[in-house]
Amino acid sequence: MSSFVALPKGVSEETFARAIREYRALLGEGRVRTDPASLQSYMKIMIPESEELHKPSAAIYPNTVQEIQKIVAIANRYKTPLWTVSTGKNMGYGTAAPATRGQIVLDLKTMNRIVHVDEELGYCLVEPGVTYYDLQQHFRKNRMNLWVDVPAPSAMASPVGNTADRGVGYTPYGEHFLFSCGMEVVLANGDVIRTGTGGLQNSTSWQTNKWGNGPYVDGLFTQSNLGIITKLGVWLMKGPPPGGYFPFLMKFPRVEMLADIIKTLMPLRMNQVIPNACIVVNAGWEAAGYFTYDKNGKGTNRDTFYKGKDSLPPKVFQQIMDKYDVGAWNFYAALYGSPEQVALNWKYVSGAFKARFGKEVRIITEKEAKDDPIFEYRRQLMMGGSTLQEFGLYNWRGGGGSMWFAPVAAARPSECDQQMKVATDILNKYGFDYVAEFIVGWRDMHHIIDLLYDRTQPEEMKRAYRCFDELLTVFTKNGYGTYRTNTAFMDQVSRSYGEGMRDIHHKLKRALDPNNILAPGKSGISL
Amino acid sequence: MTSQNRRSFFKTLFAGAAAVAVSGAGTLAGRAEAAPASAIDGVCLYAPGVGTARRFVEAMRESAPGEWSVQPLSGSLTDCYFQAALLFEDARRGKTNTFVGVLDQASFGVVHEAILDRGGRFHYVTHEGRDRVTFSVEV
Repeated sequence: MSSFVALPKGVSEETFARAIREYRALLGEGRVRTDPASLQSYMKIMIPESEELHKPSAAIYPNTVQEIQKIVAIANRYKTPLWTVSTGKNMGYGTAAPATRGQIVLDLKTMNRIVHVDEELGYCLVEPGVTYYDLQQHFRKNRMNLWVDVPAPSAMASPVGNTADRGVGYTPYGEHFLFSCGMEVVLANGDVIRTGTGGLQNSTSWQTNKWGNGPYVDGLFTQSNLGIITKLGVWLMKGPPPGGYFPFLMKFPRVEMLADIIKTLMPLRMNQVIPNACIVVNAGWEAAGYFTYDKNGKGTNRDTFYKGKDSLPPKVFQQIMDKYDVGAWNFYAALYGSPEQVALNWKYVSGAFKARFGKEVRIITEKEAKDDPIFEYRRQLMMGGSTLQEFGLYNWRGGGGSMWFAPVAAARPSECDQQMKVATDILNKYGFDYVAEFIVGWRDMHHIIDLLYDRTQPEEMKRAYRCFDELLTVFTKNGYGTYRTNTAFMDQVSRSYGEGMRDIHHKLKRALDPNNILAPGKSGISL
Repeated sequence: MTSQNRRSFFKTLFAGAAAVAVSGAGTLAGRAEAAPASAIDGVCLYAPGVGTARRFVEAMRESAPGEWSVQPLSGSLTDCYFQAALLFEDARRGKTNTFVGVLDQASFGVVHEAILDRGGRFHYVTHEGRDRVTFSVEV
C-alpha cells in the first residue's frame, strides 16, 4: 500500500518519493505537504464524481517566481504534474481538486502581494494569492476611489484565478479577461515571460496597453495549461461621484416574458445607457437567496414547499414566487455617472420598460428595497463589493452538490428563450429544477444554471451526472457553446468545439510543455 | 426533529468530536484516543436553524463534559465567513482547545473555506442528510 494519498499516473512510489525529497530540499518540509489532513483543501468537490478520481498527491506552496521556476524543473525531471490554483475557489467548476488523480497542487495563495495600484490611471498588478477582498481593503486603507469588478464569491476569490478561468462580474468592467492588461507567466521550461508591453526593459505601459507588438498571446494562458500566471494587471473602475450609482430591480410575473425582457434591455445595453453586466435572474435562484429560519428554527427552503423527489411543479413555483415576492424573472442593473446623467438615463430605462410591459413590470430602486438582503447582495455586486451570498444556493436543495452549466447565448430574445426552455425540459426530466441567471455581456449572455443536487445520495449523483451530460449534448447540437465547465466535463466540452481547435491546443501543448507537467486535463488538453 | 432525536444526535456527535479534537493528533475521526473530558474547553459554531443555544449547551455538557461555549453564526454569509475566521484564529491562539460545528449547507460552505484559508484542518466533516453538516477542526 502506498504511503501517499495518491500517485501521479505512470509515476512509481519510489520516483514520487524522490521528487518529494527534491521539492522539500527546495522549499522545506512545511511547504511541501503529502499528509491527508493538509490535502483536505483540495479534496472537497461538488461535482457528481468520486473524490478518488480527483485526489491530489501533494500540495506545494511557493513564495517566489524563482521558486516556481525550480519547481517546474523538478516536475519535468520526475514527470510529476502540477495543478495550479490561485485561491482555489472555483466553486461549482471543480473547486481546487485536480482534473485527474495524483497531480501535485501548486497552491499560489502564499504569493499574495499587491505589487502596485495606480490610482491615476486605475489599474493594479497583483499576484495570484491576492483576493478581491484584499484589494478592496487596500483601496479603503489608502482612501482610493477605485472599484474592482468581482465574481459572486468575491470575498475569497482571486482576480488572477477568476480572470485565468475567464470569469465574469457585474459592473461595467464585468468581462474580466477583457479588462486585464499584462501577465507574467512561468512556462513549463522555466522561462518567465511578460506579455503585452511587459517585455520592454523598464516598460511604462505594461498595465495600460494590452497589445504590445506582434501576436497577442495572453489568451493562451486562460482556461489553459500552457503556463503559470504569476502576476496579472487588472483595470479598475473609478467610483462615480456621490449620487452617481443607481441600482434597480424590475420584477416580471411570467416565465414567457423572457424574450420581451431581452428585446427591451439589449438596445439600452448596447448604447451604454445600461453599461454594466446586468443580470436576469429566474425565480428559483432568487427564492434560494431568501433562505430564512422560522421561529422554531426550521430552515425555509425547497423542501418547505415540496416534498416530492421530482422537479418543482409550476404551481409550486408560483407559491414560492408569492411567498418571497419574487418575479418569474428579476432584472437587476445599475446606472453610473454624474447624478444628472443617472437621472436622465433612468428616464430612458424606466420609460422603455413601462412602455413595453405597462403594469406587468414592478420597478424597485434602493428607496423601495430598503434593507432587502437580496437587493443588497446585487447592489454590492454591481459596485464591486465583497459578498458570499451566492453560497445561499446550497441550502435550497441541500446535500452539497452543485455544478454550473454555463452555456453562452447570442443575446437574441428567441435564442435566450429557446435555451431556457431546452434547459428546463432536460433538468425537469431528471428531477432537477431550473435555477438560473443570464449575465448580460456585450453581445452575448452567460446563461448560468446551477444544477443543485444531493451528493449524499449515490442515485441522485448519477442522475445529476447524466443530466449534465444531456444538457451538454443537446446544447452542443443546437450550436450553443459552453463557456466554462467543471473538471468532470472538460474533455467533453473541449470536443464540442471540434477537432480543429483540439488539434491546435494539443500542438501548442506539445510545443510548450512536452512533458505534460502543467495541469494535464485542464480544458480537455493533455498529451 | 424531535427533542429526543436531537439529543441522541448530539450525544454521538460531540462525544466523537470532542475526543478527536482534544487529542490534537491531527488524525481522522475514529483513530484518535479520547482525552480526559475535563480537558475540553470548546466552542461550537451553529446555525440558528439547527437548534437553540440552550439545547446545544445541554447536549454538549451531557455527552462531552467540559467547558463549552456556543457561538451562533449571524448576519449575512459574508459575515459568517469572517466570524468563523476570527473564532478559529482565537482558538488557535489558545482561547479554546476544541472547535466543532453544526451548520446548514450554505453556512458550512463559507465556514469550511474560512478555516482552510487560515491553514486549518478538519478532523472530519459529516453530511447529516441534505440539510445539516457537522464537523470538528484541529486546534
